[in-house]
Amino acid sequence: MEARIYKNKKLIWIFLAPAFLFMFIYLYYPFVQNILNSFQHIKYMGTAGGEWNAPWYSNYLKLLSDPKMMTALKNTGVMLVATILGQVGIALLLALLVSNIGAGSGFFRTVYFIPIVISATALGLLFNLVFLYDKGMVNQFLQFIGYLDMEKNQLIDWKSKHAMFTMLLPVIWQYVGFYFVILLTGISGIPSELYEAATIDGASRAQCVRYITLPLLRNSIGTCVILAVTGALKVFDLPWTMFVNGMSNTWLTGTYMYSKVYSDVDYASAIAVVIVVLGVVLSNIVNRLFKENADYNA
Amino acid sequence: MTKKTALILAASAAAALTMTQAAYADGITINVTTTYAGEDSNAQNFKDSVAAWEAETGNKVEDSSATSDEAFKSRIITDFEAGSEPDVLFFFNGVDSNQFVEQGKVVSVDEIRAEYPDYASNMKDDLLGASPVDGVNYSIPVNGYWEGMFVNLEVLQAAGVEVPTNETTWDEFLEACQKIKDAGYTPIAASLQEVPHYWFEYAIYNFQTPETHNTVPESADDEYGQAWTAGLNDIKALYEAGYFPENTLTATDAETFQLFTSDKAAFLIDGSWKIGGIAEAVDDLENYTIVNVPGKNDRKSTDEIGGLSMGYFITRKAWDDPDKRDAAVSFVSFMTSDDVVSKFAGVSATALKEGAHPDESEFNSLQQAAVSFTASFTGLSPAVQDNLSPAAREPIFADMASIVNGDVDAADAVAAVLEAIED
Repeated sequence: MEARIYKNKKLIWIFLAPAFLFMFIYLYYPFVQNILNSFQHIKYMGTAGGEWNAPWYSNYLKLLSDPKMMTALKNTGVMLVATILGQVGIALLLALLVSNIGAGSGFFRTVYFIPIVISATALGLLFNLVFLYDKGMVNQFLQFIGYLDMEKNQLIDWKSKHAMFTMLLPVIWQYVGFYFVILLTGISGIPSELYEAATIDGASRAQCVRYITLPLLRNSIGTCVILAVTGALKVFDLPWTMFVNGMSNTWLTGTYMYSKVYSDVDYASAIAVVIVVLGVVLSNIVNRLFKENADYNA
Repeated sequence: MTKKTALILAASAAAALTMTQAAYADGITINVTTTYAGEDSNAQNFKDSVAAWEAETGNKVEDSSATSDEAFKSRIITDFEAGSEPDVLFFFNGVDSNQFVEQGKVVSVDEIRAEYPDYASNMKDDLLGASPVDGVNYSIPVNGYWEGMFVNLEVLQAAGVEVPTNETTWDEFLEACQKIKDAGYTPIAASLQEVPHYWFEYAIYNFQTPETHNTVPESADDEYGQAWTAGLNDIKALYEAGYFPENTLTATDAETFQLFTSDKAAFLIDGSWKIGGIAEAVDDLENYTIVNVPGKNDRKSTDEIGGLSMGYFITRKAWDDPDKRDAAVSFVSFMTSDDVVSKFAGVSATALKEGAHPDESEFNSLQQAAVSFTASFTGLSPAVQDNLSPAAREPIFADMASIVNGDVDAADAVAAVLEAIED
């Protein structure tokens, strides 16, 4: 029997209205306004747009010839690949390993998940100390093992010489645990009978993973990749804490947009529009690649 | 937890809340933001003065002071835009305040004097620091500033280098830097990534005079534009010679300051406010001194950067609030009284009609060195960067790494500044 609430559609609308209003006021309205802002001249952050730019799409033309924007797009592309391979890839590997150890998996689940609960800004400060030039953990360790000359106080400026690596490492490290938990949950949903049957038929561990686990994890992996792609496009806090103002050409679309917010508001709006468009297009592509298939549901 | 315990806890919490509210109800609470925080020499003086004003009036101050940097300036501008500006603000009186002056969000000194005739009557009006927007006074300054070169004597001694004097030329300074570098020390402690502006000011000052330094070029090719380009190229030359820390393009100001205070770097150009920071960071203060930045061309080494670039503003929001108006005026009057200004001024200039009377017997060795330093000034010019908006500063400050790396030509960077000003 259908519940009474479902018969009275007005009640459903009443319950949906607050959330819709909230989303409209704080998400969709600012988004549409931001698109308009990107075509107008705005003198100061927070002030209303004045006249239209001449031509009205001038900010978008400027984007095409802005070398920093090109750097930001290139670095965001690198970040995208690194998050897919690094975050989801390492998470998958760890999930496969932990799912095979049986007892103690809860311990690893907690250990790998912990970085997620720490704020990105705190992690950024932490890794600033890890990669600190003088007396940083990595440089001290390299001096200790003799790779760097301790007598001459030989040091590596990680933020200059290996900037992208130094930025990507903590970002990848932070989110591995998140995808690890999703994938481990996916693996635990695969019926053990399948593995038992495969083992009886003579399948090795590796074959079980290749022909049972990975295909049945397809939807979970797809979800992880979509989250990783959208996350990579908007990542901001940790890179900004470590590489303020895009030092060493480490601009990302998010950090570059923020750097322009106070000096060139309408241009920052145009960058924000580009980020949204990129996000929508890329997540659609990933969605198509990993189209949910009921055959692969565990 | 039993019902009884829960009731006792709830009653205690309610009582505490009531007592707190009662304490606040005794006086007015005003929100104040200043730059007297962090390593600022007057951070403690500010706290003491606030406590004294609170005790005298029974009012309260909600203090959100922070170290003065670009993030602080952005925060203030955003606060004004969001309508959450403080009641009283100690801020820059140059172009950084243009936005809220243009929007009428701060009250002019004349308007305040119409109701409070004695407001800032102890100050010289022509030194208050009129707004570039309309030439009207909106703020009351406390202490001025100067920028000079702090020296680590131990590093100089270890490198066999003499302390620069008023007669030291730029070329002699470069020779000293080379000697210091050869001895295994860092000649100049500076983060070009985070705080390039001190070096920018003096590098371009070297191609100008105290009379011309505070002029923004109209084109990259005019005499001022050429001076800026030449100055930026001098910074590039210092960088290429390896006189800055190896990680100057990625280090924070705190990191390079630590090089200076841990006897690894010889020279540090910074402001008068840094005296307190150095005194707090080291145990051997007599190992540090302050000298003039060696000059070249028409700039004498004793021509320095300094002035009165900040002051107390009362916001329109506080002025229009009948409960807060008196408190805000009382607070600014107290903080700009002769006694408080003298305490804050130390060895810097003030706008007081009667002049400041600091207690020199309480000066530490670095403050005493600063007295001799300021006495040697033959010319003083305000920092020209105070005439630039954040957007206009970006091509030379945020992009300093690209300039010294050679990715961006210095003349192009100057042209980009002028373009941003036009926008």
